[in-house]
Amino acid sequence: MIWLRKTFHIVGWPTLLLVSSFAFIAIFGSVISPYDPTMQNLSHSMQSFSGDHWLGADNLGRDTLSRLIAGAQTTLLGVVTVLLLAGTVGMMLGTLAGYFGGWLDEIVMRFCDFGFSVPSLFVALAFVGVFGPSYGNMILALSIAWVPIYARLTRGVVAAAASQAYIESLRVLGASPARIIFRHLVPVALGQVLVYASADAGLLALAIANLSFLGLGVQPPQAEWGQMLVSAMPYIQEAPRLVILPGIALTLLVIGFNLLGERIALAKNPRAMSRRKLTLRRAIFKKELEA
Amino acid sequence: MDSLSRRSVIAGASALGAAMAFNLSTLPVLAQDGSKTLRLPLLRGSGNLDPQRYVGIFAVQDMIFDPLVQYGPGGKIEPSLADSWDVTPDDISITFHLRPGVSFTDGVPWDATSMVWNLNRWLPNEEYRWLQVAANYKSIEVIDEMTVALHFTKPTPTALTELGYVRPVRFLSPNAVDETGLYKTPIGTGPWIVEREGPSGTDLVPNRNYWGPKPELDRVSLVVIPDGMSRISSIIGGEIDAIGGKFIAPISPQEASTLNRNGVTVVTETGTDTMVLGFNPRREQFKDIRLREAFNLLIDREGIAKVVMKDYAQPTMNLYPEVIPYSGTRHPVPSRDVERAKALLEEAGWTGEGTRNKDGMPLNVELVISEDAVAGSRALGEVLQAGFLEAGIGLTLRNVDHAARHGDIPEFKYDLSLFVTNGAPYDPYNTLGLMFLSSVEPGTDGKIYEDEDLDALIQAALGAREGERPAAFQAVSDWLYDNWAIAPLFHGDRIWAHSSRIKSFTIPATEYEMPLKSLSL
Repeated sequence: MIWLRKTFHIVGWPTLLLVSSFAFIAIFGSVISPYDPTMQNLSHSMQSFSGDHWLGADNLGRDTLSRLIAGAQTTLLGVVTVLLLAGTVGMMLGTLAGYFGGWLDEIVMRFCDFGFSVPSLFVALAFVGVFGPSYGNMILALSIAWVPIYARLTRGVVAAAASQAYIESLRVLGASPARIIFRHLVPVALGQVLVYASADAGLLALAIANLSFLGLGVQPPQAEWGQMLVSAMPYIQEAPRLVILPGIALTLLVIGFNLLGERIALAKNPRAMSRRKLTLRRAIFKKELEA
Repeated sequence: MDSLSRRSVIAGASALGAAMAFNLSTLPVLAQDGSKTLRLPLLRGSGNLDPQRYVGIFAVQDMIFDPLVQYGPGGKIEPSLADSWDVTPDDISITFHLRPGVSFTDGVPWDATSMVWNLNRWLPNEEYRWLQVAANYKSIEVIDEMTVALHFTKPTPTALTELGYVRPVRFLSPNAVDETGLYKTPIGTGPWIVEREGPSGTDLVPNRNYWGPKPELDRVSLVVIPDGMSRISSIIGGEIDAIGGKFIAPISPQEASTLNRNGVTVVTETGTDTMVLGFNPRREQFKDIRLREAFNLLIDREGIAKVVMKDYAQPTMNLYPEVIPYSGTRHPVPSRDVERAKALLEEAGWTGEGTRNKDGMPLNVELVISEDAVAGSRALGEVLQAGFLEAGIGLTLRNVDHAARHGDIPEFKYDLSLFVTNGAPYDPYNTLGLMFLSSVEPGTDGKIYEDEDLDALIQAALGAREGERPAAFQAVSDWLYDNWAIAPLFHGDRIWAHSSRIKSFTIPATEYEMPLKSLSL
């Protein structure tokens, strides 16, 4: 249980509670969802909070709670898939560029410069515009847009590590580039990438909601928070909850991811010792000396 | 700079709040002062008001420029700049007796000379061949100063209706154009004169020499408010007096409910158009009547009218509502019947669990929706999607913008699409002529259905003489119904809302007019 305590210490209970709740909903959503999120019951249209529908029903009589749960699944699955795809490709390119340098480094870095010069959401919009709106295309589009971020991050870490003495020693000892990359450089870069990805997940969740809000991402009848927001806009005065609830869900998820990333980043940085801790350390050191 | 003290922050905030409160409280006063100024919102700027160009807002053009004859309630043709007219029994010539004593607002008299000058601007022009009067145009004959005859190459029973349209048939002063014939300023014979025109709005004042009933208002101020929610807030806040009209400042059924709840008077009238779900007639699968019938039976028309349209619509199986001339007898609206639909699909060879398939091809169809072109089509699409899924039909919604819809639909790049009939004053002629007749090139609105047998019936109806028309149009209506050729959904109500400042209000005969004729403050 030490690992759990350590995690709890690093992340903090509010963040852990928030992120793990969303993870739980995403994993067990189909079991805990009271209704099929796509099931319409026109006679329940716009029903407010009730025993039948705890969070009410939307304009087509679909259960809001079930749609929020399905939205969490859609969003989190999207976030994880994009991070895996963009992270893997970005890390691959960044590691090769950082380790081999030269023309390969130039090509990869110019590709990244191009990627950074165009806002990620524009890249995604262009891709979806050409290939048509769908959940799969949105995931691919966002992955392409996110690759330069991870390529540049990895390249920086790998280039710094590759000039370290222990890597030089490995080279002298005749270790193959593959061995150096996979056994020594990738693990170093992975740590940094994971820290960045945990903070980046919030931004990605927002991007998914943005694209769906614009009708370029998740398509009906699949539930997604951005899509729930846009569908509810005409009813904002009659039933503000239809806009507020997916908005709150999205805000909480983004806050959760941001806090998680921040706490992990802080935990990895050395911190100045507090006066109390310093006094304690001094006392221990003095005791040791005396002993 | 010194930092701000708490006192100065509070004082500043109070001053700002007071200024805002003062500003807000003055806005309604503008509309509620003693003057008889009516403030109406516009979806966009009035634009170029040249009646021969398809740019300006119809209703603003209608305020300035008069027609020869006008479309009255129920499609009755009423006199306007023509006092009376004589139609030859073969519908090949019409003689117009012009209204005497009328002049344009610049003083130019309304007579045969100005009428012929106007007609020559557009009638012989290829661009306007979508109108039967232009397509069949032969010659104009000036009989005397106040009598003009129009001759056609073949019978044109639609002529009088078409001459009541706003574009391109309205009359403007010869001084309204420059030496090269290009439109420069709005000068008509209508009840209103443009006083100020700009991107933020248009102000109109009454034409004191108007030949008809003089406007009771001192001024109409048209304010451009592009955003729907802002328009709703404006009328609730008393900044504008009325809102509505499909091409003026449309209100959705949802917005009408909101206005009702906020104490704004909502006025409705049966619409003149119909929302239709169209099957792509060039897709092989939709040539099977059983498939079309099954789709029709899976639609919950009552539910759509009640939930999506908030009861501001009547479910239908007819192409036209009753207010359209020759709309025919009412066909019974079928109840949703999933079992019968399933049986029809099985019979047509579409079988299997989950999504049905035939010869290995799944029954997945795509419905093109466009919130820009057809408001509410997204919710409507979702209801249809759930309904079709129950019988094993996969429906994908493709949401496109206005421009993309106008590109894809005429090129038949869809399986299913939502269409809206043209409504008054264009129907019953325009929708049948442009959106069904296969010999006519599909316009930007595309074709709802095509068939050789149907073509013959439509041609007969469009060319029928007065006494034969009801039967000829009934035959078209019956063919569409018997062949399940289309899936009419509902006739949406025409919705207007007005503040308590307006004492008398009547919805005009068409969506192309302002409700000014019987309006009083």
